[in-house]
Amino acid sequence: MRDKILILIGAVAFGLLFKDLIAMKGFTESNQGVIFKIIFFHVPMAITALACALVAFLASIAFLVTKNFKFDATAVAVTEVGLAFLAGNLITGSIWGRVAWGIWWTWDARLTSALVCWLLYAGYLMLRRAIEEPTQRATFAAVFSIFAFIDVPIVIFSIKWWRTQHPAPVFWGGTGSFPAEWYPTFGWQMLAILLLGVVLTCVRLRQEEFQREIDSLRRMAHAL
Amino acid sequence: MYALLLQSAEDVTREIARLQHGYEFLSYGLIVAWLILVVYVLMMVGRERKLKREIAGLKAMLEEKR
Repeated sequence: MRDKILILIGAVAFGLLFKDLIAMKGFTESNQGVIFKIIFFHVPMAITALACALVAFLASIAFLVTKNFKFDATAVAVTEVGLAFLAGNLITGSIWGRVAWGIWWTWDARLTSALVCWLLYAGYLMLRRAIEEPTQRATFAAVFSIFAFIDVPIVIFSIKWWRTQHPAPVFWGGTGSFPAEWYPTFGWQMLAILLLGVVLTCVRLRQEEFQREIDSLRRMAHAL
Repeated sequence: MYALLLQSAEDVTREIARLQHGYEFLSYGLIVAWLILVVYVLMMVGRERKLKREIAGLKAMLEEKR
């Protein structure tokens, strides 16, 4: 039943992504040309990734308070999914930059803080692989995740705090503009990518349950 | 339309090249975005199969030991 619900949500998300691809055909922007359409993937991927980081932060605090391993599993699941979306965000942004700025990368505050964020969460997953003992692994990882989250507000507010090469915000009081007729498509695209994030997190969470089952079966095998 | 007629052949060629350049990079962006999703889903499927095999193997081993 759970599998069927996840497949259904995933199918709805992919359907919405295809619908938006068709809807985007009609949008034009005179300064940037067609490359501006990448914003419909770039921004939802960033928001989903940072939402994942927030959930990982809350789950890590919850683990340290309760010592319940379900929170640890949630933290690792959302971190991995968030990392995939943040990679998508960085790469699509780089491709946009190549056309808009003529360069693939620049060390400005937004781009650098986002890359540091990706490296921190990749470090989180590597740390987990390096520690064998489950309680120690979960505790160290939770503390690391809480510290890593410090970078998230820096990523979000960097374009407000500093003058960056990255465009000013177009959605929350910035100087950039986003035509009203694009909002519904952007909203659907946002929903589709968030739904994909939820589905991938649920699948990853189930794999953590399998891993815990394997750990307990191994302990039983050693005891016999 | 009238503005387009006033442009020289060179301007039109340049505009077409700019559009093609944009489409080329837009397609790279879309391909990368989809590719990341597909590769990650395939990785998940592979990992799940491996975990299920490992569980089945451990259960069989425990049954044998008992």
